[in-house]
Amino acid sequence: MAVRMNPGLVDDLARYGADDVTKCFQCGNCSAACPFSQDPFIFPRKPMRYLQMGLEERLRSSLEPWLCYYCGECSVECPRGAEPGETMMSMRRWLTAQYDFTGLSRLFYRSWKAELLAILLVSLITGAGFLTFGFLRGGGDLSVYDGPGAFLPAGAVHVFDWTMGGALLALLLVNCLRMWRFTMGGERRPRVPAGAYLRHLLLLPWHFFTQKRYAECGEKRPWATHLVLMLSYVTILVLVMFFLRDLQFGPEIRWSVHALGYVASIGLITTASLAIRGRLKKDAPYHKHSHESDWAFLVLLVFVASTGVVQHVLHRAGLPTAANVAYLVHLMGVVPMLVVEVPFSKWSHLAYRPLAMYFARLQAEALAARAGRPAPEPKPQLAT
Amino acid sequence: MSARSRIGVFVCHPADSDAGPVDLQAVTAWSAGLPGVLSARLVLVKRPLDPLALREEIRRGGLTAIVIAGYRPGHYKPAFTRALAADGGDPDQVRLASFREHGAMAEHALERAKAVVACAVHGVPFSLAAQPESVPVNPATLVIGGGVGGIQAALEIADAGHTVYLVERQGTIGGHMAMFDKTFPTLDCAACILTPKMVSVGQHPNIELMVLSEVQEVQGRAGDYRVKVLRHATRVDADTCVACADCAQFCPVVVPSEFDVGIATRKAIYIPFPQAVPNAYLVDPEHCTWILSDGKKCGACVKKCAKEAIHLDAKDEVVELQVGNIVVATGYDTFDARRIERYGYGAHPNVLTALEFERLTNASGPTGGKIVLKTLKHNKRTKSDEWVFEPDGPRPKAVAILHCVGSRDQNHNAYCSRVCCMYSLKFAHLVREKLPEARCLEFYIDMRAFGKGYEEFFERIQEEGVFVVRGRSAKVTERDGQLYLRGEDILADRVVETPVDMVLLSVGLQPTADADRLAGILGIDRAEGGWFNELDSNTEPTSTERGGIFVAGACQGPKDIPDTVAQASAVAAQVLQTIVSGRAHQGRRHLTLEDIEKSARALAAQ
Repeated sequence: MAVRMNPGLVDDLARYGADDVTKCFQCGNCSAACPFSQDPFIFPRKPMRYLQMGLEERLRSSLEPWLCYYCGECSVECPRGAEPGETMMSMRRWLTAQYDFTGLSRLFYRSWKAELLAILLVSLITGAGFLTFGFLRGGGDLSVYDGPGAFLPAGAVHVFDWTMGGALLALLLVNCLRMWRFTMGGERRPRVPAGAYLRHLLLLPWHFFTQKRYAECGEKRPWATHLVLMLSYVTILVLVMFFLRDLQFGPEIRWSVHALGYVASIGLITTASLAIRGRLKKDAPYHKHSHESDWAFLVLLVFVASTGVVQHVLHRAGLPTAANVAYLVHLMGVVPMLVVEVPFSKWSHLAYRPLAMYFARLQAEALAARAGRPAPEPKPQLAT
Repeated sequence: MSARSRIGVFVCHPADSDAGPVDLQAVTAWSAGLPGVLSARLVLVKRPLDPLALREEIRRGGLTAIVIAGYRPGHYKPAFTRALAADGGDPDQVRLASFREHGAMAEHALERAKAVVACAVHGVPFSLAAQPESVPVNPATLVIGGGVGGIQAALEIADAGHTVYLVERQGTIGGHMAMFDKTFPTLDCAACILTPKMVSVGQHPNIELMVLSEVQEVQGRAGDYRVKVLRHATRVDADTCVACADCAQFCPVVVPSEFDVGIATRKAIYIPFPQAVPNAYLVDPEHCTWILSDGKKCGACVKKCAKEAIHLDAKDEVVELQVGNIVVATGYDTFDARRIERYGYGAHPNVLTALEFERLTNASGPTGGKIVLKTLKHNKRTKSDEWVFEPDGPRPKAVAILHCVGSRDQNHNAYCSRVCCMYSLKFAHLVREKLPEARCLEFYIDMRAFGKGYEEFFERIQEEGVFVVRGRSAKVTERDGQLYLRGEDILADRVVETPVDMVLLSVGLQPTADADRLAGILGIDRAEGGWFNELDSNTEPTSTERGGIFVAGACQGPKDIPDTVAQASAVAAQVLQTIVSGRAHQGRRHLTLEDIEKSARALAAQ
């Protein structure tokens, strides 16, 4: 089979944040330093080689970038300062753009101006839309926050929620299908029997909710931060999608729902602020480099969480007009965050990473079966 | 220079290119003060120079000669020539001062640029003024460093009939080579080659050997250096001592042996190794009980010495030498493997450095050349358990050799140490030869088998059943008393984690710890990485900026034995050239105004 080479691949990846690939002299130190690098998925050296040689197809069909949780050990020990950890990160950005069939992801990753513009545009449309809706079809009175006459009644917002959620999910699903086709299709990959897909299906929620592998990746702290952030996010998402009426209820506190919201908000704001602080101070190898998309993600997150808290507090403080304004501002953050980030940018990794873990397991098994060996241990055994 | 010249200096530089290594403002300001210079101006050239405007400037200043200075002054010459000639000036009086042509591009760029301008002002060709001045030479030579390079240079100069002072910091000459077991790629016995040479040095009528000595001060110039050498007292009369070992037998103080890099012990009165030159015992003043107690305790050795050769109260002395040339052959230090924690050196007893393995596998080493693992043994003296090599210790079943430890690594030494690939292959051979049943693995980045017979040696090692793995190993770990090595086997496309019993770290070479101090004493440069700088890597690889001081061997850059010896011989030839001709050349760095004026006068007198 002919292998097509793209000499511009390194330059292309540079626009996603990788700029030191050419320094790499392929010594393999990173692959040995990485606690996860293991047959048949050896990284970061091999994907770096794909980059150096312009093997675009190989890179597109690689699961390796998603198997890395970026502890940064490889970059610390790299004898050439080639930053393999950050290169893996930029490969994930590049892959996200490859999976996305609309091309928007590619646009946003390569141009922060485009991403910012998109965020602002969606934000303005959201603001204008909800304001118009509130006055024309909603309660029409900005001083009513909750109840039947609310300016933005929960029922109506739910309709919007679900429509948007469905649309974004559909986009993400299409991209996931493309990921499946790139990584599991093709002649180079072993055939995976349908039964195996079923047998290992539980790996998806397992990796999604525990991120267990991250915990095995060097220090425990980044894993804990990441997990709390993700769980808080999912909790709030569930509350908003299914319990919006209870969330908006007030001014009394409905502990059954609000308590969860409080915990999750605190979790979200704390972990996102920690991440921002870490990136500002560059306190760890995985915080040394920050792409614009990382900032957009964290800033939006803190913005959305804190405006959410503010509207809640204002409501309880007996200031419904102010609460409604804060609500509008909150929505102007939430909607662009979801629309831009979920299918096209950093948020999408919440789907791609568990999928990659799942696919990797299937491939490892299929390869082992083809070679007549027992399937390799999913966890590398490493003494520390 | 004619006193009647009215000179204008124009430092010309394109306005749109960067300033380069020379501070052009400073050169301009400095030029204005030179005799005969009426004006000096920095011209940042945007458009082609206008001869009419220049002519006006020349006329107004009444200039009769022009010096165009800059990196490429020739570019502007036509405009100035036309301007000067327009009013009947002498077109030959447009002189060029090219920084690029005369090497004002690197170190000391400003000083060199000033000298180049001064030469042009005085009308002296730079190459003439810069021609090294030749001075009478003292035929005695100082060689600093008694390794194989220093030995070679000393012997060749002394064999030609001239006096050599050989200064060695350790208690014996021989350097690192004396510690080696075999040389690559011929697998010759290192001691068999070196010890006869060492003995020759010790017996040579023209060589004055000074061990336990350090150069403290160097004054003077090429052909006539005055050197102060601090001679630490050996406290044993080398002429009387017959190395019978009676003293050491009764010495109660046990310390790690430097010669065996700590894997064996010696006494406070000791001989570095049996074939040491001078072949006499020495006293270690930092551990000797008698010295530490100001003569109140011990002194057993003095009583036991039948020859009465031991003088524990002997004092250090400073001697002054007068020499014409100095040969620097101070060698190298090895990289401290403790700096890379993940290889576990210091934490795991059977992770060894290259030099430790050299001593272990050497027939004169602590196990008589048997490759064994360390065993835990109770030390009655210190009342603690220690890991030591015992001749009947367990044999390793798997030995791993890790290349590039501290070399080719931006976090440590970015350069390649040149010798490690080959000595690692030699180690692999020794392991396979002495332990045929043991597995031997080598982890390398690139195999640098660059010399005569080296590639063939590499092929031979592969045929001997060594697993040569392309991939830089990342870490050595221990589980349940077993060492594990993790690395990527790039060519086999897999990550290996394999149990090994012994790990050999192929540590790189680096400049000696006091290279900086010595460079200061000698007044010579150090290159990037800290090695002593040669004058020109192509044509003068052993000369330094300072005339009469030469470098040989690894102190100039990582080097193996053949290259070191070749360089030492080259230096000997250079030294002998000065002695035979009776003239030494000054270095080129210090071209002063007086030098230039002297050249100008000499030129005018012709």
